[in-house]
Amino acid sequence: MRTHFSRPAFIEGARDMLPMTVGLIPFGIVCGVGAISAGASPVAALAMSMIVFSGAAQIIAAQLLAAGAPLAVIVLSCFVVSLRFLMYSAAMAPYLKPVDQRWRHLVAFLLTDQAFASAIRRFRESPDLRANVSYFVGGGAVLWLAWQIATIAGILAGAVIPASWQLEFVVPLCFLAILAPLLHERAAVIVFATAAIAAIALDAMPMRLSMICAGLAGIVAGVVADRIFGRSATAEVEPGN
Amino acid sequence: MIWSLIFIVGAINFAARLSFIALFARREMPPLLARALRHVPAAMLTAIVVPAIVFAAPGALRLDAGNVKLIAALVAGVVAWRWRNTLLTIGVGMVALWLLQWLMR
Repeated sequence: MRTHFSRPAFIEGARDMLPMTVGLIPFGIVCGVGAISAGASPVAALAMSMIVFSGAAQIIAAQLLAAGAPLAVIVLSCFVVSLRFLMYSAAMAPYLKPVDQRWRHLVAFLLTDQAFASAIRRFRESPDLRANVSYFVGGGAVLWLAWQIATIAGILAGAVIPASWQLEFVVPLCFLAILAPLLHERAAVIVFATAAIAAIALDAMPMRLSMICAGLAGIVAGVVADRIFGRSATAEVEPGN
Repeated sequence: MIWSLIFIVGAINFAARLSFIALFARREMPPLLARALRHVPAAMLTAIVVPAIVFAAPGALRLDAGNVKLIAALVAGVVAWRWRNTLLTIGVGMVALWLLQWLMR
């Protein structure tokens, strides 16, 4: 395939993504606030959003940086959080085989929870690969831009909003908004209980390693729970939010 | 340190996103890996959220009603579980936190 760009599909993808940016804005603001309060310069805080482009990784990096964790531990924690992208990547891979490398790299860079959620159905149902890729890139571009705007708002707000407002509490609330709906599923409740107990029990571990260890304990518990409840391994891959 | 962090974490995220798209387009993911990855969001989110809520200060575990963050998070968690709405969850959680702090003063 020589070219993968269809302008109408790009615009359609961008337009369909606009309402989803509303949920992204507070998250992006928190990333900006978090990076600044962890000691990053405004330029570094924005560069982080432009390059990393992942709320979960950025917030963890900022929190651990502020807590004084060493670089290796921060990198390892961000790595574990980014593992979910393997899932999305595997789900997209079969459709992108005929696409050339540059476009595959672009799709990969823009592959977020929201972009995956809004585009995967289209890839499954429509055979028009050129339109599908353009649709995905259109939506991804809107998300990326909204993320930068929200980060800038956070960088500015971080300097103005008084500490007594406890704005940093928005971070756990953002994650709770994704986590709590997952708990409708039985295996997820076991994952939650295990990771929660482990996070409390292991809190005294050096270098903030408790986060990775609690997360891994939860994942293992989930795999065991699947085995007990007999959940099929081929269950549909769906995004976290 | 901050700039090396940005580039390393950026590279890791890009590598994870590109992984199967670039390398394993013809290969199936091993079933055990697929099953384990399904649990990454719930496990990691819990590992991030819980310590931020139950510790009033480093090492000071507070699982009682006097921990305003714990109560506000429980309220927000119920809202998120029931209505699946990010903005509503953040709004209710922040208002609950401010209200509880004002009541405890």
